[in-house]
Amino acid sequence: MASLADSFLADLEELSDEENYPEEETAELADAECDGNTDMQDLESLNYDDLDSVSKLQRTQRYKDIMQKVEEALPKGERDESTFLVEEDPEYQLIVNCNSLSVDIENEIVIIHNFIRDKYRLKFPELESLVHHPIDYARVVKKIGNETDLTLVDLEGLLPSAIIMVVSVTASTTTGKPLPEETLAKTIEACDRALVLDSAKKKVLEFVESRMGYIAPNLSAIVGSAVASRLVGSAGGLSALAKMPACNVQLLGTKKKNLAGMSRASALNVGFLEQTEMFQSTPEPLRARVVRVLSAKSALAARIDSVRGDPTGKAGRDFREGIRKKVEKWQEPPPAKLPKPLPVPDSEPKKKRGGRRLRKMKERYAITELMKQKNRMPFGKEEETSLGDGLGEGFGMLGQAGSGKLRISVAQSKLKPKATKKFKEKSYGSSGATSGLTSSLAFTPVQGIELTNPQALGSSLLGSGTQSTYFSETGTFSKIKRT
Amino acid sequence: MASLLLPTLTTKREIDTIIRDTLDKVVVLRFGRASDASCLQLDDILSKTSRDVSRFATVGLVDVDSEEVKVYVEYFDITLMPAIVFFFNAHHMKMDSGTADHTKWIGSFHSKQDFIDVVEAIFRGAMKGKLIVTCPLPPERIPRFQLLFKDV
Repeated sequence: MASLADSFLADLEELSDEENYPEEETAELADAECDGNTDMQDLESLNYDDLDSVSKLQRTQRYKDIMQKVEEALPKGERDESTFLVEEDPEYQLIVNCNSLSVDIENEIVIIHNFIRDKYRLKFPELESLVHHPIDYARVVKKIGNETDLTLVDLEGLLPSAIIMVVSVTASTTTGKPLPEETLAKTIEACDRALVLDSAKKKVLEFVESRMGYIAPNLSAIVGSAVASRLVGSAGGLSALAKMPACNVQLLGTKKKNLAGMSRASALNVGFLEQTEMFQSTPEPLRARVVRVLSAKSALAARIDSVRGDPTGKAGRDFREGIRKKVEKWQEPPPAKLPKPLPVPDSEPKKKRGGRRLRKMKERYAITELMKQKNRMPFGKEEETSLGDGLGEGFGMLGQAGSGKLRISVAQSKLKPKATKKFKEKSYGSSGATSGLTSSLAFTPVQGIELTNPQALGSSLLGSGTQSTYFSETGTFSKIKRT
Repeated sequence: MASLLLPTLTTKREIDTIIRDTLDKVVVLRFGRASDASCLQLDDILSKTSRDVSRFATVGLVDVDSEEVKVYVEYFDITLMPAIVFFFNAHHMKMDSGTADHTKWIGSFHSKQDFIDVVEAIFRGAMKGKLIVTCPLPPERIPRFQLLFKDV
C-alpha cells in the first residue's frame, strides 16, 4: 500500500534534515483543492517528524465541505416524504462523495496509526503486536502516555480484559524508555487526530445508512442499509453496481488480493456480504451456498433500484423471505429411508464377467490336458498304476502306446507371452558367478561404450557350439541363403 | 415398520381366496392361537419379515379356534401349535426338514433370517416345479417336537 511505502521511505528520510520542510509544504498543499489522497505528492519530500506532513486529509477543502453537509443533514432525520432519491438530487451526490470519503478516511487512519506506532516504539515496542486495531491502539497510547508503571493506568473498557492482562505483564518487562516531551506531545496529538477521523467516519457512514433506504430500498431490504451503502460505495454508484454480474458483487470488499501467480485461495470468497445479518445467522456449512444466493438476489435488487422499478422495496423484502426459506429448506434432515423388500430369488440374472483377467484366473484351476488324459482309460486294457498291480493312482491314458503322441508335454498356455524366454536371455545382470570386475558394458575401440554386449547376442544366435539351437523354443528362423 | 398388517383369516372363503388368487407367490399360513406364547413369538417374526419377503411371499394368520377353519385343521392334521403350511399357485408345498412331518412346519423360528431362508427355499423349488424341497437350515435350528404331548 502506498501509505506503508511512504512511512518506510520516511524512516530513511528521517536521517536527513527535518525542520526546514514542514512550513513550506503545509503552505503549498493546503491551498490545493485536490482529492484527499495527497500521499503521492508527499513521497518526494516526506518529513516524518511532523504529523501534518503525513496526514493531510483533515485540511483539504473537500473533507471540510462534506463533513459540514453531513453535520447538517444528520439531525434532519427521516425525510418528509418517502420519495425516491433521484440521481440528480444533490443529496445523492453527497452520498456518493461520502462513500469515497469514508474510504479515504480509512487510509488516513492507517497512515496515522503507522506514525503513532513508530513514535511509540521507543517507549513500548511490544504494544503494536498486542493491539492490532488502529483506533484501539491510539486510545491505549493516549491512556498510557509516558507512564512507566502500568498498574496506575486503567485500561478498562478500551480492551478485553485478557489483553489488558497481557499488556500489563509485557509492560513490566518492556525494553522501552520513556519518551521525550516533544515526541510525546506529537504522539498524543496524532492519537487525537486518529480518534477525530474515526468519529468523522462513523458520522459519514451513519448518514449514508440513514439515506440508503431512499436510494436503494430493495437492496437495503435484503442486505441491510450499512452493507448496501458499502456495496454502492465500493462499486462507485448504484448504476455501476447494477451493471456488475452477481459474482463480482460477491467479491466486493474482500480484503485479500491474490498476488500474481501465487494465489492464496481464501476459505470463503465473500466481502461486504459477510457482514449481513442473513449471512451471520446461517450455520457454518451452509455459508458458502448462502453467499451465492445473497449476491445473486442483491444484484437483482440493485438493478431494480437503479431503474426505480419498485420504490416501496417490496421486491427486496420478497427476495429476503425467499432466501430465508431456502436456508431453512437446506437445513431439513433428509427423508427417512424405508427398508426395501428383498428381491425375488433368481429373478435378476447373475452378472458374469469376462475378459483376459478372468481367463487367466480360471487357468489356475482349469483341468489341463495331462489331467484329462489321466482321467480316461483305454478300453480293454488294464490301467497302469503308480505302485503297480492295481495299487496306487491310475495313470489312465498317459504313456499308452496308441495315444498318437510321442510324449506328454506340458501344454504351453495360450495366454502366456511367448517372448518371456527371449527377454530372460537378454538380462544384463549376471547371476553372481563372475568376478566383481566384469560389467555388461562392452568397450569397443570404434564406438566407445556399447550398452548391449554383442558377444552375448552372438553366442545365443549361433550357439556356444555345444548346444544345438535346432530344437530351441526361442529361436527364430536363421538366415536361409540360396546356395 | 409396517408390522401390524398381517391379515387374519377366519372364514373358509377367505382362506380359499388367498390360496387360489395369489399368483407366483408363496402363501404362508400360520395355524395357531393368538394367546399361545410360541405362537406369539412366531407371529412377531412373521410380522417383522413380511415386508422383506413381500415380493415373493404373502403371510396370513389363521385362528384355529374358529368354526369354519376346523375343516382345514382336520385336513392338514394340525395337532401341535403353531403350524405353518406353505402353498404355491394353489399347490401344497412340502418341506423335508428332518422331522417326521413334511407337510407343514411345526413350531417357531430361531431368527428372522431362518424364516426368510425357508421361504426362499420353497420359492426356488416351486419355481423349478418341485412339490417338495429340502430345508436349508441346519438341524440345530429346526424345532423338534415329540408327539408325546398333544395339546389339542
